[in-house]
Amino acid sequence: MANLKEVRTRITSVSSTQQITKAMKLVSATKLRKAQNAITQMRPYAVKLNGILANLSDSIDVDSLNIYFQTREVKNVLLVVISSDRGLCGSFNSNIIKKASSLVVEKYAGKNVTILPVGKKGSEFFSKQQKMKVTVNTEYRDTFLQLNANAGFQLGSYLLDVYRSGKYDVIEVVYNQFKNAATQILTNDQFLPIDTKSIKGNQKAKNDYLFEPSKEEILEDLIPRILKTQIYRSLLDSAASEHGARMVAMDKATDNAGELLKALKIEYNRVRQAAITTEISEIVGGAAALSAN
Amino acid sequence: MQLEILTPDKTLFSGDVESVTVPGSKGRFQILNNHAALVSSLDKGKVNVQTKSGNEQFEITGGVVEVLKNKVVILA
Repeated sequence: MANLKEVRTRITSVSSTQQITKAMKLVSATKLRKAQNAITQMRPYAVKLNGILANLSDSIDVDSLNIYFQTREVKNVLLVVISSDRGLCGSFNSNIIKKASSLVVEKYAGKNVTILPVGKKGSEFFSKQQKMKVTVNTEYRDTFLQLNANAGFQLGSYLLDVYRSGKYDVIEVVYNQFKNAATQILTNDQFLPIDTKSIKGNQKAKNDYLFEPSKEEILEDLIPRILKTQIYRSLLDSAASEHGARMVAMDKATDNAGELLKALKIEYNRVRQAAITTEISEIVGGAAALSAN
Repeated sequence: MQLEILTPDKTLFSGDVESVTVPGSKGRFQILNNHAALVSSLDKGKVNVQTKSGNEQFEITGGVVEVLKNKVVILA
């Protein structure tokens, strides 16, 4: 049986771990609230943008006009893999990595795949592994260090540029979509070329607008803007999901530590009791031996 | 007339205004009450907002403006 001191040391170490996980949970909860706020802030912007696009695309044939809608023969693929910078968030990162890997091996087998990781965890994995023949571009790895609309739009512009220049024929984004604090939906969205249905929606426009300078020119401006907003949204979603996942993971860890502590305390008392019992029986035995004499 | 200036990060302005001047891509123009429905792209520049209580100015880096039934929305 373990001795008293050993049990005591374990109790101290488990309870200090519990304190850490509890603190991390609280920190994540705060960060989650912030991240959710950012999503709410950008929602009216995205809704309005799509509304205007619906008005435009009602009257002109968007598809044939814009390069972003035209599909090409797929040779070079860019996968944007949005993970997180830190671990300890359950299966958050491993899910993303698994999904991205399966895309490389199955959906895009035989194509030239480049991975553009956002977040350190995904970047570390894809830089180290050698089984898959992929190129890794770590240029935007640290976007999460300062996540704001500007950073998101920069990434968006880069993606639009490389697509327009013909460097890649398909761009797909793998990320965790935020549903609620406890649920993330692992998503892979084709970013470019645009799936016409996904962006137009079903809204029918009823208003007679004046368009300045012209519908086509507004469209030229509007579509990249919408795409960049989409990328920014994915980043925000992923950030919120990360904090949600970490909060849940840390909550579980705190609970587990509590259970462990309970068991250890019982063990501790049992050991203590046994020690006392032994001591008493020794004394009694000693006294009995003396009085017999 | 109602004005909203939205960016992906936050809402810059929301409220009642007398007039608003925006940097349209074909030149600056002013929007007054009862303006016809309009969609225009915007260039980098300043948005001047005139309210009952005074003037306000916002810096934008391009965007789109939509005017509909005395409701102006600027997406910057």
